[in-house]
Amino acid sequence: MARFRSTLLRVLALAGMALVAALIANSLASPARRLAWVRSSLPPATAAPRVEKIQPPLPGSGLPIVPESKVGHPIHPGHLPSSRPAPSPAPAAAPAAETSPSSPILDISAEEAWRAFQSGTPFLDARRGSEFAEGHIAGAWSTPVWESDLDDRLLSFKAARRPGSEDPIVIYCSGGDCRDSHLLAEKLLGEGYFHLLIFHDGYPAWVAQGRPIGKGRP
Amino acid sequence: MKARLWPWLLHPRLTLAARIALGLVFIAAALPKIGDPPGFAKAIWAYQLVPGPTLNPMALVLPWLELLCGLGLALGIWVRAAATWAAMLLLAFGLALAINLARHHPVDCGCFGATAHRTDAERLTDMRWSLLRDAGLLLLAAQIFLAAAPRKN
Repeated sequence: MARFRSTLLRVLALAGMALVAALIANSLASPARRLAWVRSSLPPATAAPRVEKIQPPLPGSGLPIVPESKVGHPIHPGHLPSSRPAPSPAPAAAPAAETSPSSPILDISAEEAWRAFQSGTPFLDARRGSEFAEGHIAGAWSTPVWESDLDDRLLSFKAARRPGSEDPIVIYCSGGDCRDSHLLAEKLLGEGYFHLLIFHDGYPAWVAQGRPIGKGRP
Repeated sequence: MKARLWPWLLHPRLTLAARIALGLVFIAAALPKIGDPPGFAKAIWAYQLVPGPTLNPMALVLPWLELLCGLGLALGIWVRAAATWAAMLLLAFGLALAINLARHHPVDCGCFGATAHRTDAERLTDMRWSLLRDAGLLLLAAQIFLAAAPRKN
């Protein structure tokens, strides 16, 4: 019994030591490696828009996937929140109305992104700062959505460009199923910007098309 | 048969090997995450299991807990406490992987820090292997724990 209690105390002590170490390490970390203990800006993790994004490219590559995702939910209803299947269709339907001009967050193609670039629309890069340094769309602002100085970077962007709430802003990350640009778009939407264009194919597509890029830290 | 096998399964040398192996795995898993908490937060977020307010504290503390457990196991300090945490963490990680496999939601493991971009099919395959690895590591933790437990007779 005494042994059990001493083990329990040590289990708790390990957790306490980890907490202290994390507090110290995080206060010493550089902004790019620091994490706010309390995050205010992150919207709840919603899988729904992701499902919607993944499906369009798939039909060409393989039919099995589509039935799988349809059948998948009914087969495993007990596993997780039964609320899960329910929200999927609803938000999936909302962004599907991408043609509707009233939607504040729109997906744009590489061609549209290029036109926006030529007309001087500001680009925000939602990827990690290290990825930005390796290469980014020329003239883009580094606004890494996961790093602790995001708000400062957004402030300096706003101070320099003074975007109005209806002015277009292009947001991109690394394409594919990358969600960072959506996270940033939702944050900016909350801050009152209503013309957010998500360059869905992101930086890889930009490079593949041979468009102008920049390197290094901002 | 069982009586003959048991002493072998709890042999001190086996425990030593298990301790060092599990300890090194935990240290190797902890270091990249300690170096990049935002990346780990993003990895946890992708699992879509952790509520928003606990995400960042978890991403900050978990890697240190892994490191302390790994050091304890490898160096033989507070072995039972470290093995307890290791087993609980492995169970939690395995459960998180299993839930996302069950709902066909491909995620990057994030076990040893961030990885390069992969397709969803590759991710699902990796998740199955990670689950298997988790089970194996859990066996090591169980061995350490049982071998360190007081004998009844």
